[in-house]
Amino acid sequence: MTLSLSVPDILVARAKSGDLEALEALYRAFETPVYHLARRICRTPEDAEDVLQETFLEVVKSIGQYRGEGHLWGWVRQIAASKALMRLRAEKLRATDELVDEAAGAPPPSVAAGIDLERAFEQLSETSRAVVWLHDVEGFTHEEIAERLGRTVSFSKSQLARAHARLRRLLSPAVAGS
Amino acid sequence: MHCTIEDLVALRDGEGSVWARRHVEQCAECQAERERLYQRVAQLKALPALRPPRDRWSAIRSTVVAERSRKRLRWMRGGLAVAAALAGLMIVRSQKPVRADELAQAKQQSAQLETTLRDYDSDSRVMSGREADLTAQLEDQIAALDGQLSQLGDSARADAQLVDLWRQRVDLMQQLMQVHVTRAKYVGL
Repeated sequence: MTLSLSVPDILVARAKSGDLEALEALYRAFETPVYHLARRICRTPEDAEDVLQETFLEVVKSIGQYRGEGHLWGWVRQIAASKALMRLRAEKLRATDELVDEAAGAPPPSVAAGIDLERAFEQLSETSRAVVWLHDVEGFTHEEIAERLGRTVSFSKSQLARAHARLRRLLSPAVAGS
Repeated sequence: MHCTIEDLVALRDGEGSVWARRHVEQCAECQAERERLYQRVAQLKALPALRPPRDRWSAIRSTVVAERSRKRLRWMRGGLAVAAALAGLMIVRSQKPVRADELAQAKQQSAQLETTLRDYDSDSRVMSGREADLTAQLEDQIAALDGQLSQLGDSARADAQLVDLWRQRVDLMQQLMQVHVTRAKYVGL
């Protein structure tokens, strides 16, 4: 995903003063990367849309606290990740979800025909997707992920390794069978 | 014995064991596995952007405007209490008793409208962006009037001007009332 995420300082200053047009411009600049991040983690498009809305309500509320240290997208991304992981923590079905992830011994029918990476990624549990996406794609540390998930660093690391092992099996059925 | 995925992920993140590092340097199979790991991550980063199916800005904006209105209203009610206290003091001190009845009437109307508006409780109902804007404008004007009423406290010409300001306030509150009544009818409340 390649998007221009640079935002003029004057726009940020106007947004910090509460200017709704400037805040809308920030929304337009970041709606796609925020939704993209949320959709890669959340179970449904509706959940991802809710994360998008919750993220920008928080941006509007807290933009005054943004000190200009680092790229604005980095700040917005932290909020989006927190909102997505909070939703995931609240998800009652997570325990079941993880059991599904563990039961990877019998590959789904689609594996036999070979599937692409995007579909394989969607077959991971929400927790695994969150860890892979935030660590490998967005560059979060295991410490940051563990804190937001309310789990340990070891949990985050083991989820990452297990997720890659499963992706490997899903993408290379011949290897998985050996 | 080859490296596990866990070994390779740890190596990639700079945390692998000495054994795993040395093994990968010498093992073509593990080097290929490590390359597949890099490729998977590169492909994940290159996935096309997923765009939101609907525009959420109008909902966000309405929530923000409603929250701001709520804050203004709280401020306005505080200002109104101060203004009412000052106005009461002025009536007592007034050199022109003939104005007292008019002032009391305007204040009474204002208080009645205030009570009725509270019954509509804007916080608990959905407003369109346009309604929220109009409401915010009217509340701003009322707040500005309350500020003027506060400043008139010790003015010698306060009496006539005070009645006029209270009448303006009643007029604005009637307009605000109309916004709520129209919305309530529209949603069938």
